[in-house]
Amino acid sequence: MAAQEPATKRKRISKKNKAAWRKTDIQDVEQFLEDQRQEERIGTFTDKQNEDLFVVDASPLKTAPSQLTIKQKRKLNALKPMRSHQALENTSKVQDPIVKRNHVRQKKSGRNIELEVCNPTKPRHRQANSDRGLYYEKLDKELAVRESGKKVPKVDKDIWQEEDFRDKIPGLKDEKGWISRDLALHVAGNIGRKVVKTHASLHHKTTKAKKFEAPHPGMSYNPSLKAHQELLAEVVEREESIIKKEQHLKRVTTAMFNKVTPEERDKRRLNEMSEGIKEDGEPESEDEADPKSTDNNYSTVNAPVENKKKSKAARNKELKQKELQRLHEAKKALKKQTADLIRIKSIRAEVQEEAEELKEIKKRRKAAAERKKFETKRLGRHKFEEPDLDVNMPEDLAGNLRNVKTESNLLTDRFKLLQKRNMLPTTVAVTRKRSKVKRFPRSSHKEPGVSFQDLRDRRKAAAAAAKANSDTIKI
Amino acid sequence: MRRPKKYESGEATQYISRRAALRKLQLSLNDFRRLCILKGVYPREPKHRRRAQKGSSEIKILYHTKDIRFLLHEPIVWTLRDYKIFAKKSGRDRAIKDFRNLKRRLALFPEIKLDHIVKERYPTFIDALKDLDDCLTLLFLFSTFPSLHLIPREQSNLCRRLTIEFLHYVIASKSLRKVFISIKGYYFQAEIKGQKVTWIVPHYYPFKPQSRQEVDFKVMSIFVEFYTIMLGFTNYRLYHGLNLAYPPQFPSSMLQDNEDTLKDETSFVSERIAALNFELLRTDKVQEDEEEPDIDMELLEQDGDSKRIIKMKQEAQEIARLRNLFKGLKFFINREVPREPLVIIIRSFGGKVSWDSSVFSGSTYDESDETITHQIVDRPSLSTQYISRDYIQPQWVFDCVNQRQLLPTNKYFLGEQLPPHLSPFVDAKRDTYIPPEEKALHDPSLIETHAQSDDESEEEEAAQNEDDTVDQELLDAQLQRAYQQETAEYKKYGGPDGVNEDEEDTDDEDFDDEQESDDEEEELDEKTKRLQEEKKKMSVQSGKVHKVNKRQLHKAEVDEHRLQARMVKPRHRNLFRKLIREKQSKEKEEWLLRKKRRNIDNDTKEAKKLAKREAKKAAAAAANAASQLGAK
Repeated sequence: MAAQEPATKRKRISKKNKAAWRKTDIQDVEQFLEDQRQEERIGTFTDKQNEDLFVVDASPLKTAPSQLTIKQKRKLNALKPMRSHQALENTSKVQDPIVKRNHVRQKKSGRNIELEVCNPTKPRHRQANSDRGLYYEKLDKELAVRESGKKVPKVDKDIWQEEDFRDKIPGLKDEKGWISRDLALHVAGNIGRKVVKTHASLHHKTTKAKKFEAPHPGMSYNPSLKAHQELLAEVVEREESIIKKEQHLKRVTTAMFNKVTPEERDKRRLNEMSEGIKEDGEPESEDEADPKSTDNNYSTVNAPVENKKKSKAARNKELKQKELQRLHEAKKALKKQTADLIRIKSIRAEVQEEAEELKEIKKRRKAAAERKKFETKRLGRHKFEEPDLDVNMPEDLAGNLRNVKTESNLLTDRFKLLQKRNMLPTTVAVTRKRSKVKRFPRSSHKEPGVSFQDLRDRRKAAAAAAKANSDTIKI
Repeated sequence: MRRPKKYESGEATQYISRRAALRKLQLSLNDFRRLCILKGVYPREPKHRRRAQKGSSEIKILYHTKDIRFLLHEPIVWTLRDYKIFAKKSGRDRAIKDFRNLKRRLALFPEIKLDHIVKERYPTFIDALKDLDDCLTLLFLFSTFPSLHLIPREQSNLCRRLTIEFLHYVIASKSLRKVFISIKGYYFQAEIKGQKVTWIVPHYYPFKPQSRQEVDFKVMSIFVEFYTIMLGFTNYRLYHGLNLAYPPQFPSSMLQDNEDTLKDETSFVSERIAALNFELLRTDKVQEDEEEPDIDMELLEQDGDSKRIIKMKQEAQEIARLRNLFKGLKFFINREVPREPLVIIIRSFGGKVSWDSSVFSGSTYDESDETITHQIVDRPSLSTQYISRDYIQPQWVFDCVNQRQLLPTNKYFLGEQLPPHLSPFVDAKRDTYIPPEEKALHDPSLIETHAQSDDESEEEEAAQNEDDTVDQELLDAQLQRAYQQETAEYKKYGGPDGVNEDEEDTDDEDFDDEQESDDEEEELDEKTKRLQEEKKKMSVQSGKVHKVNKRQLHKAEVDEHRLQARMVKPRHRNLFRKLIREKQSKEKEEWLLRKKRRNIDNDTKEAKKLAKREAKKAAAAAANAASQLGAK
């Protein structure tokens, strides 16, 4: 109201032009109209009953805190319409001016599975229903088996029994021999029950070596002295060969290079790296002093190529020489042939010797190939290495079954055996390297320091000790 | 004509790298590994690596292209792909916590079917038996495992079940042949359908965890997965061959209604089966006689008795004896002795066995049973001992089996220092020269005879010698010593040993028998006379002694050998010559070694004799001096 007061003071204003009209205060009219529209929307006070407008507050003054847990409250809230959708709600009391409106039903996307299941109309619905039934039947069975806890692979037939594929397909087997085996095979294939031959490589043997390697008699839990000594000797021999190899490698690699102290090494490195860089004190213009560099003439180390022409006479001479040479050679060869005619016997012997040598080589190669069939092959990146022999040291031999000290791990043993027999490629277990993490204490975390309380306690204790010390009389 | 490109034919197309194989099969590396192990497809080594790898010389894992093409048609490839789908779907369910769906999915986990692969890889049953070594060793090992990462508990349980079933077969068929205790474990060798099947059972120690660096557990688990299926089918066939019901069962008479059976029959039965101490249910009604119809050796003798036939005959006889080695013996296994290997051995050679009921279920009689003949003990001493039985260490059982006879128990008594346990896998009857010491280890009876013969020779020498009185004294001293030892033993064990007693008994019986037979002879004289007269009436004339012409025999032998050499095909001639040469050289070597030994033995004997003579002389001189002194 206070805002309208100055407007009421000026009673008349010129209404000469448009701008003047704009200054006209029409608020009261608008207010009135707004009020009227509101009344239209929500009705006047007179229309409403008292009960609608007022509520008798019968509850005690303080409302008891709700017993609902947070979870329950959340659930209740979830039932309510969303706050964000409140703005979209139609709260108007104004009736729809169009009395009859065409209701447009929105088409649902996808299939109505529920309908399909409840009243199937199409054959594929029925098919799907029966399939589903079968599936659940199977599922129930599986679940029942799982519940009973008897899940073991079924073995209820002899797979090695001789059987003829013709027995399974009626009409293929006849006693009179009208249908040959080939024909039966053909028919079976065309019926859709093809008889498949297994691939020959399936029975490929990975190695020719014997499957069972007898244990060394020295591996007995209570071996005879001789057998045990033999085994020990074998182990020692193997170990020695390893040591020898290691020493050889060391000699050939590490020991081959002379050593320097770390300081020397650093110095050398520095020198190497700073090669070509001038030091401060050195005179810079060593090259400039060179007189050649001052000239602009281009010059190379190699002399320039000259195209020397040969004269015709020289060419002729050369040709003649060549011809002569050729003739000479031919003559020499002929002479050698005639000479060889005489020593034909020795040539034959030579040829024979050569053939024998070749034969020997062939034989050796064949033997090597044969030997290779028994050995472990190189299947992968890593070479197979024989595992260590299992041996009980003499002091570990207990002599009775109760105190046997077991050596070797059977699992490792088997694994190595599979590798040895070329059934597995030799592998090396790879562990993923974890990236190095630098650890440091958080700034919020402080080391437990010394409190004032501690300090005071310490001081007190020291004082007490000093007092006790002074009280005691030393003798 | 198009010019052929490099690596389009030949070795380059024969091999395929693993990576290419993965791409071709559309499988992950893990699935591929699994498929290869299950199907028995292994990597190959090419002849020329660079050619096979299309010019690259790094060492790749290569497979045969044909093998991989063969794998393409395998139905389990689809199952492996289903696994991938399963993993994705169930992972999704788990992530959105749709447990209802997850449960449904888990129930319908795609199972791999391996039956057809077993048949494919082992077209005949014998093929499967040949490959049983690895299978059994791995399964016996896995049956001891707890549930580990990558090795589910069901797998180790299944392994245990299958191995027990197999052991039941071994016991029922009595096919065990050799046993050996090594530091690795127990070696067993059985002969099944003519195939030697060897397996190792680990020592019965608590499980030791193993580092994953050494062994790829996943790979081993896949091997075991295949082997379990294979052993299942093998067991089925083996059981049916013996007319036993396959999932092993007891005869209904065994299952009396008592507390245990009523409580939980299945666990009761499975425990008894695991005890290996009962006969299983047979499918045929009639209990067959134990004696199997052996190979009719008479039929084989058509070829004349060649060496091989004789050897075979001996072997068959030996095995027939071995199968009933422990028949009639009753064993009791003490608590500290590993039960299972001993039960297998004793039962498969016809013995009866029991143990303390607190150790394992399925014991049949108590320790206090007086009919027990042997108690197997592995401790230095026992407080309560029964006179009626032998207390032996477990090695006795193993050594008896390996030597195919019941050994004297005195070397294996409680607390005794055991003789060495020899490996049965070293052929004791091999052709090369075997020193007498080793022979004696294999057959202890040999060394005794050797000693006896020595004694005899000594006696002979003594007879030849002039002063036999001194020798007699020596002999007396030896006898004295032996007697002292015996009494010491008697004191040590608190009673006469069963064996000694038995021996004495048999001796007595022998005496009695002889006496009785003498009496009978006198009575029956008339009868025999009459019989002899009757016999004479029959027109059978006494035959002439057939004289064997040794020279002719040798000649025939040589001729036969020559004929043999002629019959050899030309391409085998070299081999034949080589064999002959090897044989000759071996014989020569053996002869040389024997000769050497003989020489050494003679030398030592001479030396001994000399020493003894001198000693005797000295003794005689001393006695003379003493007598002279006494006379004085």
